[in-house]
Amino acid sequence: MAEVTSRKDIQTVSSGDGDPWAAFRQIERLTLSLTQHYTHTLGKYSRFFIELEQKRFLATRCESCGRVCAPPRPLCPNCLQPTHWVELTGAGTVETYSVLHFSPGSNADVAALTTPYVLAYVLLDGASTLFPHLLRAEPEQVTIGMRVRIAYVDGPVEHPIHLMHFIPME
Amino acid sequence: MSRRDAGADTAVNRLPVIVGVGMTKFAAERLDASARDLMAEAVLALLADAGMSDLKAVQHGLCSYESDHFNKQMTLAAILHDTLGLIPTPTVRVEGGGATGALALRTAWAYVQSGLCDSILVYGCETNGRGVSSQTANQLFALSADFDWEMMIGGTYTGFYAAMMRAHMHRYGTTPDQFAHVAARNRRNAGFNPLAQKPMDLTIDDVLASRMVADPYRLLDCSLLSDGAAAVLLATEDWARAHSPRFRTRPTVAYVATGCGTDTMRLGDRYPEMTNFRAKQAAAEQSYRMAGIRTPLEEIDVAELYDSYSGVEIQAVEDLGFVPHGQGGAAIAGGLFDLGGALPVNTSGGLLGRGAPVGATGIAQAIEIALQLWGEADSRRQVPNARRGLTDTHAGIATISVVNIFERRD
Repeated sequence: MAEVTSRKDIQTVSSGDGDPWAAFRQIERLTLSLTQHYTHTLGKYSRFFIELEQKRFLATRCESCGRVCAPPRPLCPNCLQPTHWVELTGAGTVETYSVLHFSPGSNADVAALTTPYVLAYVLLDGASTLFPHLLRAEPEQVTIGMRVRIAYVDGPVEHPIHLMHFIPME
Repeated sequence: MSRRDAGADTAVNRLPVIVGVGMTKFAAERLDASARDLMAEAVLALLADAGMSDLKAVQHGLCSYESDHFNKQMTLAAILHDTLGLIPTPTVRVEGGGATGALALRTAWAYVQSGLCDSILVYGCETNGRGVSSQTANQLFALSADFDWEMMIGGTYTGFYAAMMRAHMHRYGTTPDQFAHVAARNRRNAGFNPLAQKPMDLTIDDVLASRMVADPYRLLDCSLLSDGAAAVLLATEDWARAHSPRFRTRPTVAYVATGCGTDTMRLGDRYPEMTNFRAKQAAAEQSYRMAGIRTPLEEIDVAELYDSYSGVEIQAVEDLGFVPHGQGGAAIAGGLFDLGGALPVNTSGGLLGRGAPVGATGIAQAIEIALQLWGEADSRRQVPNARRGLTDTHAGIATISVVNIFERRD
């Protein structure tokens, strides 16, 4: 007897009289998984993540237009000039947010989150853009305009973006 | 004659018309069909619609699909082209996230206008249904967010859209019952469309009682994951008349205008504009200029809007200039965009009710507009005397936005 280890099922789907596909209505399904492993370079973002380990938060500033980007932009999209690193204090203001009641489990760090969790867009003091990250706070506590700050953690984490998150300003 | 004049003349004569349309019923799961089976089904329906027996005279193919991951296949365009017997005609694949189908049509518009071909089959499909778990689906969709900065923190598109709607509510006072109106209405419209995936008869309270997914969006505010395929045959009017018996008996529907805009990939980089879609505003302005539209609410009769989440339709009616910014919620709750209203939208059921196999979505929107302009939609959803229709389709959180406009010419 032949054996197909991944077989999920074989079934015949309904077909009416005169079905031109009558000879093709027996359907077999398999359960397969594809797993990929990557060497993922952080490229010109790398220094941001390395400095997070030292509990320092870096943004980029464009000398030409003065725009401060967090997350960093090694290349200023306005001026197409290389930017340079500036350190921000880590204090900021929630501009908008969502409370997520499910986790996509995108990596080990995300899979470990308890739901619900707060995804906040924070205008860090001195920045021109909003930085998205987890805000560890009671969802009912969170409001647009609330003051927050970066909390640094030592890990272990899988992705270095989890060396930080936001918490309410005391 | 100057070169520019020659181009203008060519553009008038080469305006693409819709020769025929075909699509599968959209479904949460087509256990009996692979991507190529779905595509074949849609194209056979198109042939029947156009009154054609084969594709031998068609000069070009254009394949529309988003994801190698969902479909478990790279170079799917070549495989589908082969499946449909289009070899050895030229082909091209167009990908633009959620806007893929609309961007495919826009590309085909340019191929016909340029004279590269007189006829082009735009065919799209996706297997976003239950082939993967909803968690895997969310992960795969999150891959189209910024990997290190958005995906790795647990961000999902549901969350990004929810954060935008939170900002819209904060700035304009938009309320959950206003976007629940969209969730209920589009699923009701789906009940008048035999090819829709999930018609439902819901009250606003039913929507508000469904479980919270990403505050302020609840389960019934979210659109569907679908398996499905759709195809549109575009051609010059001369080609259509010569090759499609059905074309000669129907009112002519021309694809008169197209616009496309873009925005930053990350929502946070758009600060301080957090409530609305700049890319959609740009796409609308371009397409209105091309179509000569000044007052869209009066001059457009029917529209298919990209309701990936119910509140996105509120943002869309504002960004498309149907109502001023901040008034979308009240206008929608007042029935302005319902069947029988001033400008019925998502008569097909939209992404919420008809479904959304990504590569087929923008094409299915154009099919609904074609049916409306031909006067061939189910009588319960047919907009009387519809002469001009619009489709609105976007990728990400309107990172790429496409607006296409169609007109009945008789």
